[in-house]
Amino acid sequence: MLLPIALTLLTSFKREADVLRKPPVLLPCDAPDGSWGIQHCRFVLEGYERVLIPKPAPGSLLGFELTGRMFSTYVPNTFLYAFSSAALVFILAGLAGYAFSRYRFRGRRLLLVAILAITGIPLLTNLLALYQMAVDLRKANIPGYDERMFMVLVYVGFQLPFAVWVVKSFFDTIPRELEEAAFIDGCTPLCALRRIVVPLATPGLMAAFLLCFVNVWNEFIAGFLLLTRREVRTAMFGMYDFLSQNIINYQVIAAACVLVAAPVVILFLFTRRVFFEAMTEGAVKG
Amino acid sequence: MATQLPLTSAQRTTFANRIAERFNQTLPLWLLLPTLLVLAVIQFYPGIYSIILSLQDRRAGAVEWVGFRNFERIFESAIFRESVGHTVVFLVGYVLVTMVASLAVALLLNQRLRLGGVYLALLFIPWVIADIIVGLIFGLLVVPEYGLLSPILSNPTLFPPKGLSIPSDPPPKPWIAGFPFPPAPAMVYLILASSWRALPFITLLLLAALKTVPSEIVESARIDGAGRLQLLFRIILPLILPTMVVALFNLMLGGINGIGLVFSLTRGGPGTATEVLSYLLYTIGFQRLEFGRAAALAVFMAVINLALILLTLRVSRVDERTT
Repeated sequence: MLLPIALTLLTSFKREADVLRKPPVLLPCDAPDGSWGIQHCRFVLEGYERVLIPKPAPGSLLGFELTGRMFSTYVPNTFLYAFSSAALVFILAGLAGYAFSRYRFRGRRLLLVAILAITGIPLLTNLLALYQMAVDLRKANIPGYDERMFMVLVYVGFQLPFAVWVVKSFFDTIPRELEEAAFIDGCTPLCALRRIVVPLATPGLMAAFLLCFVNVWNEFIAGFLLLTRREVRTAMFGMYDFLSQNIINYQVIAAACVLVAAPVVILFLFTRRVFFEAMTEGAVKG
Repeated sequence: MATQLPLTSAQRTTFANRIAERFNQTLPLWLLLPTLLVLAVIQFYPGIYSIILSLQDRRAGAVEWVGFRNFERIFESAIFRESVGHTVVFLVGYVLVTMVASLAVALLLNQRLRLGGVYLALLFIPWVIADIIVGLIFGLLVVPEYGLLSPILSNPTLFPPKGLSIPSDPPPKPWIAGFPFPPAPAMVYLILASSWRALPFITLLLLAALKTVPSEIVESARIDGAGRLQLLFRIILPLILPTMVVALFNLMLGGINGIGLVFSLTRGGPGTATEVLSYLLYTIGFQRLEFGRAAALAVFMAVINLALILLTLRVSRVDERTT
């Protein structure tokens, strides 16, 4: 399972000369005289350097700055989109999930099923309209408008339906008696949500947050089509761009893959339990 | 702040309290409003817009209503028919490979391997890697001459007559005219890469289902002399069938709409050998800028998606009733 990842890691630490050997070598560990040994291995950070392009900058915190576009622009952008959409999804799904879990109102079932059905509509088929909206919004010249806002809104719109379901099913597991006790003590419903339900449903809300974060981090096509300025583009666009630039520099591509995938992989490894629970829960129910 | 006491009747008549009361009575609406607004703008409106767009022709700058002409033109075009073929081949391959492999891994994990949490998580890493990156990773492995798999692929004894070059080999002559089977090497590779990424999630689903199979049933079947295969096909598979159907629909939804891998691995090529419907939508809509036809295709795909998700819902409700 992990072989392709391992091979990519390996490639990312090779020198350009070793990447371009015919036939390809798995480990660059042979001496010029043909003997093979671990002491001859040549692993370098050249690939990573060429992604990051660190330049000395005396004023900054670490003593150098990363000037490669990937890490000076694209990855911070992606982080911004992923974090702000996840935070918004967290809040909106929390509110909506509470309404669905605790109140019985007219049209509740219909709305729930409609929201579930929406999870099946892919971003792709809505992109024509969203593209047109993005163009119109740019033309409208609204003061203070930034295409990044629209991008976050789009991501929220696509991550929200599933998150509402995950959060609702977690809220359902919390006994209502706890809130009723709070009501008797004079708590309003919103206060009960904040003080009782949210603390108890933290795993569910975290799952909604993390799933949204990872999905937005990995999203490509919407960012590719809806954003026009280079300064606001995403890391996945950067990866796509790398592909067209570095036709020969495979070690650079491999290093970029490793660097861009690493944050979510590490996040996943630390929070795996939340992921497993939420995904099986959500998927089995719909 | 003082603790809130229950309102007295005198307080309740004040204006502010009336508003507060109204607010509390209609609270579900206020809680749902932000979500509904976002969904209306990002999901509902674009859906309606696509339908309207699919009935119009806007290429000349003016808007002309053309009825179902866009649909006719897209359904009649050769590339659409070819793409449907590619999509069918891709879906069948993708679903089969992923299901069989996931089931094997899930059975293995369920049976004896007591893997620690970290190892299990490592196994699941492909799941959180972006499809664009998966495409790049798999692409690097098969670069002609330099890719690490190329010595195997270009070996003429393994792949007669002169080895295999995944990025450029054209598809073989189809068995049935007009249907792209057997697929091009690039398509097979695309299927393998997609399955690799989908495998962890489906495995997890099936594993969760396998855990619910009561061990007494398995035991009693074994005592009655059921062999391993019999046990699998007669007892275990029927019991986890609902989950398998959910997994199947899940895979089909992901497979129809997945575009990132096509983008970074093959870009529809070589030629049009991996031009699936999702990629065709991109090329018509955003490269050739024929919005009307693209919208017709988008509506077509959205209908398929909705049908799939509604079927999934039905099946999983059956699941809930039986358990």
